[in-house]
Amino acid sequence: MPALEADGVTKEFGGVTALRDLDLTVREGEVFGFLGPNGAGKSTTINIVLDYLKPTSGSVEVFGIDAQADPVAVRHHVGVLPEGFNVLGEMTGREHVAFAAESKGVDDDPDAVLSLVGLDGVGDRPASAYSKGMRQRLALGMAVVGDPDLLILDEPTTGLDPNGARFVRDTVTSLRDDGTTVFFSSHILDQVEAVADRVGILRQGELVAVDSIDGLRAASGGGSRVDVTLDRSPSEGCVERVRELGGVSDVTVDGTTLTVACENGAKAAVVDAARADGATVENFETSETSLDELFAQYT
Amino acid sequence: MSWAVVAKKDFQDAIRSRALWGLSAVFLLLVGGVSVLYATLDEITGGEPTAVGLIFFVGSTIGLFVSVAAIVTCYKAIAGEREVGSMKILLSLPHTRRDVVVGKLVGRTAVLAVPIVVALLVGAFAGTALLGEIAPVATVLFGVVGLLFALTYAGIMVGLSATTGSTTRAAALAIGFLLVVEFLWDIVILALVYVANGFVFPTGTADFPAWIYPVSQVPPSSAFVTSLTAVIPDAPMQASGNVPTAEAFDAFFATPWVGVVALVLWTVVPIVLGYWRFQAADL
Repeated sequence: MPALEADGVTKEFGGVTALRDLDLTVREGEVFGFLGPNGAGKSTTINIVLDYLKPTSGSVEVFGIDAQADPVAVRHHVGVLPEGFNVLGEMTGREHVAFAAESKGVDDDPDAVLSLVGLDGVGDRPASAYSKGMRQRLALGMAVVGDPDLLILDEPTTGLDPNGARFVRDTVTSLRDDGTTVFFSSHILDQVEAVADRVGILRQGELVAVDSIDGLRAASGGGSRVDVTLDRSPSEGCVERVRELGGVSDVTVDGTTLTVACENGAKAAVVDAARADGATVENFETSETSLDELFAQYT
Repeated sequence: MSWAVVAKKDFQDAIRSRALWGLSAVFLLLVGGVSVLYATLDEITGGEPTAVGLIFFVGSTIGLFVSVAAIVTCYKAIAGEREVGSMKILLSLPHTRRDVVVGKLVGRTAVLAVPIVVALLVGAFAGTALLGEIAPVATVLFGVVGLLFALTYAGIMVGLSATTGSTTRAAALAIGFLLVVEFLWDIVILALVYVANGFVFPTGTADFPAWIYPVSQVPPSSAFVTSLTAVIPDAPMQASGNVPTAEAFDAFFATPWVGVVALVLWTVVPIVLGYWRFQAADL
């Protein structure tokens, strides 16, 4: 049974379509990164999963439970770090965690949870006095109370310093190792690349790709780029030969430089083909397609 | 019992509010002062103060106070949490939206009940000390109706708060309610009587149509005092504004129990409408 399954979900806000016919499956036990620029519909999707928003059409199931029909049953399985949340009134950090435990009907020790998320010693302070990073840790602590089967994190690292971001990554990894499914959204590529088993890319309310990072690289142009600089402009025949090599997906010429997008294994053949008609290779550089380029291609 | 968890948290949080403690202190002074005035000023009692009379004197004084206190403690109950985003934390936990509304209603009622119970004790103490008598049945019934009144006003304000995600709008709704239904209701009644009488003001209250009696019980604070006269044995009748007491009208619905009905309706209808809007709302 998938941890999360969206089926034809559409959401319109007063005539503006925020999500269009979204189909999405998150498998049990994986870390799924939900990637997209701001405004692509990531939070809208998550808010529908949590029943903060009602879909215009379509349905979402979490472990087979309909998210709109029985949101409370869903929340018994799910820990949530919402986006744009705020702490509860003047309650202390410890009271927040105790409230989460009481709400979920479990008897987790609040101090142990606070310690787990690195908030030792500040449990007696009102959470309203916490910094952004501390609030984020507190909400993460409330989310993991009761050992949820699925953890949903909406932009968990936004506004955090590098230490905070690494802490979130480490937490996600260790939870995944314990068998928790993690679904998290981000517009920061590095965060996704570091921890996600699979990635879904959302653009303007539509899912444009779902794959592993490596799979996305391969699908979007072989993953590597070779810049070959010759002592003269390459002939048309030379460009044609390179283009026809196996594993080459794109060739562009800028002055005396050939830029070739290709699979890793094709690099040597590219260099050979470029000098086949007598030109001398003055310089060549290879690089992996960066995630930025990948992201730009899709969005 | 998920609502009870929400109610407990809400009460614990609200009880820390300085505004509430300030309000309670003012309330305490008000009730104490009113009790002393009643017991010592012959102009109020005609020289014969009684414990039941004291209860009504305190009761008619606290009506508006409770309505203002209810606005202060309740107008942000739902709208405020939606506006700042703490509703997202609340609803990330296994609570239904109904649990949240019911929990808020119970929690805020409990907050309002604190000063009312204190007022009751002060009133009873003052009565015993100053008048040398106590009316136990009337005091307990005053407490019961007083708690119903707190529930009523919490229900109205939490219900209004549940219709919107903006505290500005929630405040406007709450103050608008207070203005129209409490402060301006006498004018509404005069206008209705004027129209019903053929666009002429009647010469005396004897010409008022009987249906104006239930209309006069629309303001919850009027309904509260009238409810006290209904449930407390041998209670003196209390007129609501310009409209005479129930005895003046010859109709089956001209009874002080109309006040109890009004309180119950105000307790149920706004909170149900508020919940209905809230459960369908996008947060």
